[in-house]
Amino acid sequence: MTRLAVRNLFQNRTRLIISVGGVALALMLILSLDAIVLWIQQRVTAYIDSSGADVFVAQSGVRNLHMASSSLPWDRSALVAEVDGVQSVTPILYTTNVVAVGDERTIAYIIGLPRDALAGGPWIVRSGWADPGRGGAVIDQGLAEKSGVGLGDEVEIMGRTFEVVGLSGGTTSLTNSIAFIHSDDFSQLRGNPGIVSFLLIRVAPGASPPDVARRIESEVDGVTVQTRQEFAAQERRVVRDMSTDLVRIMNAVGFLIGLAVMGLTVYTATLLRRGEYGVMKALGARNRDLYASVAVQALVSVGLGLAVGVGFTLVLSALVPRLASNLGLAVSFASVAKTAVASVVFAGAAALLPIRQMRDLDPAMVFRGK
Amino acid sequence: MLIAHRNLTREKTRLALSIGGVALAIMLVLILDGLLAGMYRQITSYLDHTPGSVVVAQKGVRNLLGATSLLPAGAAADVEAIAGVAGAVPILSQFVVLDLHGKKQPAYLVGYPPELGGGPWDVVAGRTPETDEEMVFDRVLAARHDIGLGDEVALMDRTYSVVGLSRGTTSWMTSFIFLRQSAVQTLVRAPGAASFLLVDVKKEEAAESVRDRISELPGVEALLKSDVQANDRSLFGKFFSAPVRLMAGIAFLIGALVVGLVIYTATVERRREYGVLKALGARNCVLYSVVVIQAFWAALAGSAFGILLALGARTAIMAARPQFLIVLQADMAGRALLIGMGMGLLAALFPARAIAGLEPAEVFRR
Repeated sequence: MTRLAVRNLFQNRTRLIISVGGVALALMLILSLDAIVLWIQQRVTAYIDSSGADVFVAQSGVRNLHMASSSLPWDRSALVAEVDGVQSVTPILYTTNVVAVGDERTIAYIIGLPRDALAGGPWIVRSGWADPGRGGAVIDQGLAEKSGVGLGDEVEIMGRTFEVVGLSGGTTSLTNSIAFIHSDDFSQLRGNPGIVSFLLIRVAPGASPPDVARRIESEVDGVTVQTRQEFAAQERRVVRDMSTDLVRIMNAVGFLIGLAVMGLTVYTATLLRRGEYGVMKALGARNRDLYASVAVQALVSVGLGLAVGVGFTLVLSALVPRLASNLGLAVSFASVAKTAVASVVFAGAAALLPIRQMRDLDPAMVFRGK
Repeated sequence: MLIAHRNLTREKTRLALSIGGVALAIMLVLILDGLLAGMYRQITSYLDHTPGSVVVAQKGVRNLLGATSLLPAGAAADVEAIAGVAGAVPILSQFVVLDLHGKKQPAYLVGYPPELGGGPWDVVAGRTPETDEEMVFDRVLAARHDIGLGDEVALMDRTYSVVGLSRGTTSWMTSFIFLRQSAVQTLVRAPGAASFLLVDVKKEEAAESVRDRISELPGVEALLKSDVQANDRSLFGKFFSAPVRLMAGIAFLIGALVVGLVIYTATVERRREYGVLKALGARNCVLYSVVVIQAFWAALAGSAFGILLALGARTAIMAARPQFLIVLQADMAGRALLIGMGMGLLAALFPARAIAGLEPAEVFRR
């Protein structure tokens, strides 16, 4: 019966391609949206993950970097440095502002770095320097290429002109890039010299970051302290909580489309082979044998559709970053597993559609030439 | 036409499935479009309802929502001294992330001077803040998290009492919350600070002339309010148009494949009839036109049904999740029909080879 089902399915290549393509695209809708959200989640924590800091200190109650603001009095830096287990403290300034090159304006996280910062600077330097120095800026290489600027050219950040002294990699996301300037320039432009945004802590060799974080929080007033992993998890939650409802709606639509495509595929395939099923019935095949054949066809179709859909999405994840520098896709095993479960549901539901056709099939029909 | 119609409607379940598939694809395209249009409307809601026709920001900043702006000290007084300026409302604003019942909720915090304006424009319950410990909260966000008048909401290292609930201040990404300007200055440790000035221009003056005069001040950027609104729309459009276009493109291909599958199957099923027509002298173009008509009607019916589905889905989504504003306009329906036609034309290509390769004699051999 399985062999018959597979032969039925593969007999007409064009129909097979269309139906597998339809299922693949419907599954791709679910997969690609998940992949976009996961990519955003990964990118939103790129700075935190790659900062080199083990622990982040922020204003009390501030647990995020993205869409957040933190203001700490300068003296907190010295107080934190005295806590047992702290090896180094790098105070950084942070805001969301614009990097402007001619008419091209891009939103960017602006990071103000002290000279010889031990953490928080660009982690991949494609060319030039990692340390912006006074009057200098390190900007994302993709942004520089898009804007047609290179080392030695000028860009405008926070309303002031800076010379591009370095080009960084991995510092762009869907919404923004990251630009680094000297913290003295940052303070001057902000006009608020007694304030820093975050303290980036490196713990002493052998010290445990969670223990050091708890010690800082208990010994220094007015701060919220998180390990790198905790801080990154908070960032991912912002993206996840913002997108959950939207992803659910799109997944539901993708699921319904997949169901319709799969139903159509199995139904049309059954209809076309009605004559053969009639012959089988005339030769003594029971209804349940015919149902099994239809179910196998549905399962094989969705199996192929899933494989092609995952393949398409992987191809898309390779192509999209080349076409749009601020967008990418990250395909996860969890997402593929979720889509595989959806596929099995597609197949099961689709196999139910032609049941009436099978049941009512008159074995004599084949002899009447219908 | 008759052959096409009979071919298409002969198998009702198949036709219903194909119309359903196309309709769902069209619905997806429309809902995505509607979400984007709704987002554009929500993005500019604050500036739509605040005073002034010119916005002054820190030099280099041309958006309200995209970048954090901090004006040089004394900017408000300098701007008010410029000829043609009737008044300037300073606001201190920035994004914040609220932790509400274990959920992260980004919000746009606006600190405004109650005596000048720039605050909530439609307070549907309670009142505006009278002290630095009070806030006005967006009513949709409040309902989602069961927050009512008198409740306390933590914001960074402080807690505020909700004294008012505002309407028209929400979106799926972020909602507006309002404090007094002095309260935000304390919160972000920036005494005397302002992010933007909302400038009212004297009646006899052109907003453009006043904007140009303000732009000569050091460290500031003056723009027409309409330009700031356009910049915000363009910025957020840039963020979201790529994923939306990607999803809409996939939906288009799915629709084309669904119609293609039905038309192809219907053509293969009626192969003998097409052979008879060919044997009787019908040229390939006649047979193609039969196929195209079938594809056209299937796609048209699917598109029309898709528009109805989108209207229903919009109502359901907005009732269940009021933070989503889905705007469906007449031009979108027209575009959906055109997209449907595009799906039909693409679908008609699938059976083309089957028809072209058809031998008229085949019919006599069977």
